[in-house]
Amino acid sequence: MSLINYSSREINCKIVYYGPGLCGKTTNLQHIYSRVPQETRGKMISLATEMDRTLFFDFLPLELGQIRGFRTRFHLYTVPGQVYYNASRKLILKGVDGIVFVADSQIDRFEANVESYMNMLDNLTEHDLNLEKIPFVMQYNKRDLPRVVPVDDLERELNPRKAPYFEAVALRGTGVFDTLKVACKLVLKTLG
Amino acid sequence: MVKGNWALFEEDFWAINTILQNLIQTSSSKSVMLIDKTGQLISSIGEPPGFDVTSFSSLAAADFAANQQLAEMVGELDFATLVHQGANESMYLSLIANRVILVVLFDRKTSLGLVRLKARRGGEELLSVLNKLFDKLQYKNEDISSTALGAEFTAEAESEIDSLFKE
Repeated sequence: MSLINYSSREINCKIVYYGPGLCGKTTNLQHIYSRVPQETRGKMISLATEMDRTLFFDFLPLELGQIRGFRTRFHLYTVPGQVYYNASRKLILKGVDGIVFVADSQIDRFEANVESYMNMLDNLTEHDLNLEKIPFVMQYNKRDLPRVVPVDDLERELNPRKAPYFEAVALRGTGVFDTLKVACKLVLKTLG
Repeated sequence: MVKGNWALFEEDFWAINTILQNLIQTSSSKSVMLIDKTGQLISSIGEPPGFDVTSFSSLAAADFAANQQLAEMVGELDFATLVHQGANESMYLSLIANRVILVVLFDRKTSLGLVRLKARRGGEELLSVLNKLFDKLQYKNEDISSTALGAEFTAEAESEIDSLFKE
């Protein structure tokens, strides 16, 4: 939920990375953290299990600096992808300003993508939110792997509203910033 | 023009900060924060904490959210207050208007009883300020529009995004 403080002159927006387990949501945030200037990023928080699987969420605050006198920040969150952590996913979607859906391009993860996408729609509905009205960016990750679904097929199944999409290899950083930039810009536009 | 789901104006901000300042003094606590339930910091008053307040806010909201789920499991609507007590530093959290979280950080110079008492009173005062603010947000959108930012803001922010977020 965007928060504009006219007195302390701050604007905060929340972007959530959604997607099935092991699709690369945390990897997106880790890459962003490693590449943005130190003064732009805040502390990255990962509530993960011993196996490095996200338990509750990852959180990374990014600060654009002063824009026309306003300190403008984006708060990036990931949701836990594993099916049984739905309560956490639902909580993190609360007050969301923009969503990045990270899909795993591998053929054997196709069903997991669809399931996660449907789960996202259900959880949004529970918050009285409609994907049509929320800035949304699709990222097709792991494009470097050998057995991947063609982008056209992924688009047909996961992106019927034709939101902007990017092919990515998050481990190498490919497509990560393209995705983030468009998500941030779309959020700013909706606030406008 | 930029509009938020939540907007804080000068008079509300100062009204809130006056209440928080008073709470620190009367409870002898170290610092007080007001955090939106979705994890955004609204205001922080008192000793500047030696940690990242943005991350702290996100975790405090998550703490409350997790406890709310636990409350539902045991048949409660919510746990309206939470206390985390350490050997030296402690924190008291309470939910106000089901929308914002008041966090009081205190040490051994005061007692949980006093913090709880003063936080409850401060919470009541905050409730009245917040209710007025929510009414304003709901019914007087023109107030927001008149103070909102122009297209220049969006353009400048986009250019900053391009320069900061790159390989």
